[in-house]
Amino acid sequence: MARYAMVTDLRKCVGCQACTVACNSEWAVPTGFARTHVHPTGVAGTFPHLVSSFYIAQCNHCDHPACIEPCPTGATYQSADGIVHIDRDLCIGCGYCVEACPYDARYINPVIKKADKCDFCWPRVQKGLEPACVLTCTAHAKFFGDLEDQNSDVFKMVYEQGARRLETSEVSIGPNVYYLGKKEDVDLVFASFPPHRPRLLRAGEVWRRYLRPLVLGAIGATFLGQAIAFFHQLRVGEDEFEE
Amino acid sequence: MATQPLPIAPVPLTVEQAEAMSQRQIKKHHVAIMLLHWFNAAVWLFELATGTALIASPYFRVMPYWYINMMTTLFGSRANMLHFHIAVGILWVVVFLVYGIFGFRTYLARQILGKEIALDRDDFRWLSIRALRILKKSDEPLPPQDSYNAGQKLFALLVYAMIPIIMITGLIMAFHLVSTAVVGWAVVLHFTAVGLVVSGLMIHVYMGAVFPEEKPAFFSMITGMVSELYAYRHHFKWWKEVKMQEEAWTHQFQGGSGSTGVASPPLGESAIPSVAPEKAEAKRGSPGMFRRIFRSPEYWPPYVAGVGLGLTLLATFVLMGQGLGASGAFTRYLVAILAWVAPHYTFHSSYWSNYIQPGQSPLIAFLTFEIFGAMLGGFVSGWLAGRLRITVDKGPRISRRTRYALAIAGGILTGYGARLARGCTSGLGLSGGAVLAFGAWVFMLGVFAAGFGGAWLMRRYWL
Repeated sequence: MARYAMVTDLRKCVGCQACTVACNSEWAVPTGFARTHVHPTGVAGTFPHLVSSFYIAQCNHCDHPACIEPCPTGATYQSADGIVHIDRDLCIGCGYCVEACPYDARYINPVIKKADKCDFCWPRVQKGLEPACVLTCTAHAKFFGDLEDQNSDVFKMVYEQGARRLETSEVSIGPNVYYLGKKEDVDLVFASFPPHRPRLLRAGEVWRRYLRPLVLGAIGATFLGQAIAFFHQLRVGEDEFEE
Repeated sequence: MATQPLPIAPVPLTVEQAEAMSQRQIKKHHVAIMLLHWFNAAVWLFELATGTALIASPYFRVMPYWYINMMTTLFGSRANMLHFHIAVGILWVVVFLVYGIFGFRTYLARQILGKEIALDRDDFRWLSIRALRILKKSDEPLPPQDSYNAGQKLFALLVYAMIPIIMITGLIMAFHLVSTAVVGWAVVLHFTAVGLVVSGLMIHVYMGAVFPEEKPAFFSMITGMVSELYAYRHHFKWWKEVKMQEEAWTHQFQGGSGSTGVASPPLGESAIPSVAPEKAEAKRGSPGMFRRIFRSPEYWPPYVAGVGLGLTLLATFVLMGQGLGASGAFTRYLVAILAWVAPHYTFHSSYWSNYIQPGQSPLIAFLTFEIFGAMLGGFVSGWLAGRLRITVDKGPRISRRTRYALAIAGGILTGYGARLARGCTSGLGLSGGAVLAFGAWVFMLGVFAAGFGGAWLMRRYWL
């Protein structure tokens, strides 16, 4: 079974947003939203030791995705090859997954009113094509492949050249998008765009704290009550009622 | 004309009075209400079955994964299941909207919300006495009740409060209405409202289906009628209302010549005019028939049961492609347990491994479910006839312990024999016999011969 991953070589990325445009046009992403987007870090350091780089945001197809658990209908799921999919037929657009993602990789598509995000261009990959962003990258900075294939570019970059995952001590869920480059560039990107802890919508919080105990308590109490009544009935036996 | 006031609370009845009242039927539910009730029940059954299977998230999940997977397989895909859930839900909303709009003034607002389910002082007393009685702190008589008692009213209020929430949140989720934040709230409100109704629904179903004193209420949802005695004892205020209406009716159309003396025992001489005989006859009709057939404590004649069994067998051949059976199910239960406890042994046993296919539980078979259906059917039959009771069937001369020992010994012999013969009386004798399998007829001859001899040997234990 494959295990797909993507690597961005920060030494090559020029921040041209060609990947963003390719992705938007490939997947008809509405204006103002994006499945992938390039964020400049701005300039850091003191002259003459200045550093500047780009953060390429997209779904990381994490080993332990934070977005699956809160999805009420199971519309978000992970296939065995590691790709996190959204079943649009099942998605009801509640936004729990959007809040949960530590990388803010998801958005609610205002046209279909359902969650949407990068799926490593799965329909293209199935046909043997490269993801749109990889194919279009003007600087050949993006690579896509199978980490279990020892001859793949991504395998070499991750296991031999030391490409790194964007993780912190707080949020470590195994993202499968890696960054390769000079240490100070990668450090700057990671410091500028740290993942946040998975969040729960206020509604979900209220459910967890108040509503679920209420519902379970009510059901438990009535179940217990009628179980007692039923055993009482069995023990006493029935009188033929009033006839 | 009789003008004595009706009593404030039920007075004790003599046997004849109770007998006479139990024979008279009073109309409780309109046909439309009964249809709506069963439509609603069916909707709840389908929606709960699919809805709980749709909640797959580890965070919200209420049902085990095997149930979710089973339902998913049943519908082909989870998307199909969601579409079904939404379609049934919309049908439900439409039917209730029609009911709510056309019946709002005359029915919903005045009759139901304003009168039938509004709690009065008697209801609060009823609730507190009920609670105290459970705690064994009170033996006061329960205050008289309207056409719905306080418990039913509370459940109705809960349902009337929750149904709009369920409908609106359901529509919001189905069509992704308003905004993402609203859909997010709709999810948890939908679950909460359904959960609260379910907590009451369990009591509702239990009271209607199992609790002995409320059986007439259950049958009234099928026939529309309750006996006057039940109304008198359980819904006294409603009974009084019905009586007053009848009195007024009689007074108006028969010039007050209604009282014939037999009918109205609890009120002394003639406070309540009797229902005219032919009218009472017309009112009885179908419930009597239903009662005679299904509610009689006597067993049906064996010939009828035989024909029924034959038809059931035919139906399983047509529908399931195989006959009835019993021992096969137990073999499968055993294989499932064995495969769990000692998988290596089970998979390599030439006998047990026959029942195991890769990727499929040995429990996924018609027989393993049929057994539960048979139990349920037996339960319903016993319940309808009022035979439910924990009891040990045994001969008069033996102790319970002997009975248990004999049952276990006989069970072991039966199980062993069934595996020797590759089928029991159901699987081999009945199903095999029906398709004229030679082995089945030999087996049945053996069963009868051994049974004949065995019965004679064991007669002391039974007679």
